[in-house]
Amino acid sequence: MKDILASAEELPRGIDQNLAGCHICGKASPTSLEHCPRCGSHLHLRKPHSIQRTLALLAAAAIFYIPANLLPIMTIVEVGEVTKATIIEGMINFWKAGAYPIAIVIFTASILIPLLKIIALCWLCAAASGRLHPSPKALSRIYLITELLGRWSMVDIFVVGILVALAQLGNYMTVTIGPGALAFGCVVIVTMFSAMSFDPRLLWDRMLAEQSQSSNHPQPLERTDPNS
Amino acid sequence: MSEPIPTPEEETSAATPDFRPTKRWNIVWVVPILALLIGSWLVYQNFKAKGPVVEIRFETAEGIAAGKTEVRCRSVRVGYVKHVELAEDLKSVIIKAELDPEAENLLRRGTRFWVVRPRVSASDISGLGTLITGAFIELDPGQGKDTVSEFVGLETPPATNTNIPGRRLILEAETAGSLAPSSPIYYRGFEVGRIESRRLAKDGSKVIYDAFIKEEYSHLVTENTRFWNSSGIDISAGADGFKVRTPSFQAMVTGGAVFGVPEGMPSGAIVKDGENFTLYQDEDAAQKSTFNPTLRFLLQFDQSVRGLSKGAPVEFRGIVIGRVVDISFNYYTDSSVDDRRIPVLIEIDPYQLRRETADKMSAPNSDFLAKAVGNGLRAALKTGSLLTGAMYVDLDFYKDQPVAALGKAGNITTLPTVSSGLAQLEAKITAILDKIQALPLDDTVRNFSLAAETSQATLKEIQDTAAAARKTLEDPEFRQLPTDVRKTLDELQKSVSSVGPDGAIQGDLLRTLDELRASLRSIKAMTNSIDEKPNSLLFGKDSTGNPIPKAPRR
Repeated sequence: MKDILASAEELPRGIDQNLAGCHICGKASPTSLEHCPRCGSHLHLRKPHSIQRTLALLAAAAIFYIPANLLPIMTIVEVGEVTKATIIEGMINFWKAGAYPIAIVIFTASILIPLLKIIALCWLCAAASGRLHPSPKALSRIYLITELLGRWSMVDIFVVGILVALAQLGNYMTVTIGPGALAFGCVVIVTMFSAMSFDPRLLWDRMLAEQSQSSNHPQPLERTDPNS
Repeated sequence: MSEPIPTPEEETSAATPDFRPTKRWNIVWVVPILALLIGSWLVYQNFKAKGPVVEIRFETAEGIAAGKTEVRCRSVRVGYVKHVELAEDLKSVIIKAELDPEAENLLRRGTRFWVVRPRVSASDISGLGTLITGAFIELDPGQGKDTVSEFVGLETPPATNTNIPGRRLILEAETAGSLAPSSPIYYRGFEVGRIESRRLAKDGSKVIYDAFIKEEYSHLVTENTRFWNSSGIDISAGADGFKVRTPSFQAMVTGGAVFGVPEGMPSGAIVKDGENFTLYQDEDAAQKSTFNPTLRFLLQFDQSVRGLSKGAPVEFRGIVIGRVVDISFNYYTDSSVDDRRIPVLIEIDPYQLRRETADKMSAPNSDFLAKAVGNGLRAALKTGSLLTGAMYVDLDFYKDQPVAALGKAGNITTLPTVSSGLAQLEAKITAILDKIQALPLDDTVRNFSLAAETSQATLKEIQDTAAAARKTLEDPEFRQLPTDVRKTLDELQKSVSSVGPDGAIQGDLLRTLDELRASLRSIKAMTNSIDEKPNSLLFGKDSTGNPIPKAPRR
């Protein structure tokens, strides 16, 4: 058992000892308790239905992604002139106007990041359910990127929110939010939930299982030893 | 598949709640379904909000900006201009406007578009608001049922909206004159409507006006209504001096139309929208227009028709009953016939004559005209004005004309003609000249000279007599004659005075009378004695015996 731990992990995993970390307060308790003795919340070894939830939310995000880019994100009424702009139109306008950095920022924050996040989460789900066999290094890097990117994908909504709040100059200029903004907000929120519902520990569980399967059969048995 | 713990030892730790057989489909899948619903609803909302796109063709896109210019209906925004592009022929612009979905039912047949720009004209000032807000496209919904998506915009705004109730008429004129959109229409000098637009007919034969009569006056327009142009100042000089007629000041500046029913005509039924009327050049023309030509005839003139123009009157003994429609050889359909007579097509309104006559004339298969022609009805060209040389066609009965009858040229009835007017005059003069030429002028002249000579001699004798007379008169003896006469008269007077009661003659006369009386007395005694003794004259008073005859003396 020692050599296994030494080869795979230094310390025994919580799952191997039927110890579950509380989702709320983080206290490790035996799963037999069902409820956290400290805060009373349900105890799970892993996030329940994690991959299914993640995938469902990702699908929702992908669906929202279409209207978010097709519909105008805001309507600018400027001295009787009505301008409706989708995200891509806005970006193209900035690009044409020579504001390349802003165009790049918008492109990255509004188009690229949500798309990348969706793809990355899909990829992670695939890896967690054993359909892909990436190296642990790639897995961790992609997970890190997903976590990092998620924070920045609200930029557009933030900008629109500020504009709507500030640019209310009566008849001269009014900015109203468009249906695209709603869809875009949904994309961001749903991907955030999706990322939240994903349990990264599944990745390592899967990797461990595969390692043990590929190297020798008794490994999983030995791993279960502490449980029994 | 989402089983979080794939390790086989799970079966052994049955106490843990994690290893329940899980449902294949988690409740979380509601979320993407919801997302699908919301997303498709958003997209649907957005595309529903996109509304119909219309194409409007304008001559120029002045003041129109894509994405900016609004389409308004009664100043309510119903859409905006999405796109402005040049037409393929580069002669107009096509404006693509996106309308609000609620405005879709405004796009009917007859819907009109025009650009509202600031406009200042003699009759009105409009669209000043657009100086600040910029031009916009006004939409005036039409009355049609079917939806149309391509329109031709008006270059000038119509004077009235189609949804303002009233009568909309079409006026057709030969020339535009000064009548222009928004010119007023008067009835008895009262403004009752406006000219909405004017355009040239497609074939360019006339000018077409769209006229609008306000609802409250629409009943004034009836079948027999005549419209005429009242623009400008009408100056006419007649026997009673100069007459100047002016319409209202506005009509003088912008032009105007007047309508009314010609005198002596029934007004007829009230017309419907879209009725066509002729717009006459002036009131006189409108008044003269009361005839409704129903009969057409072809006249063939064997003389020049110079001076006869289309529209020239056709008169019957001075009453205008029709007009000349056309002068053209094209009415001879049979090309084989070499006819050099000039065909003149006329039309006649028989109702300008007596009604019964007209009915007889118009009746199908009537021989009324044939009889009239038999009685000498002929058409002739006559000079209407010596100044202009304008001719007219005169119908009249002529005696001593060669027999003629109604004919046919193609399917048009022909009326026989006589040469008249100058042609007839010419013929008569020629005849007179011929006669003059035929006279024995030489003999006459010779006789004349003889007579002249004789008379000259006579004259001379008269002259001599006169001279002798003068001589006699100048004779001193003759001159003394009056003195003698006076003397004689004086003597006569003296003699007369002697005859007077105190005169010697009176005394003589009395004495003579006395003697006469005595004589008479003695005569009486004598007659008595004769009575007593008739032979006393021979034998004296006391004679006895027989008379003794005496021998003749030697």
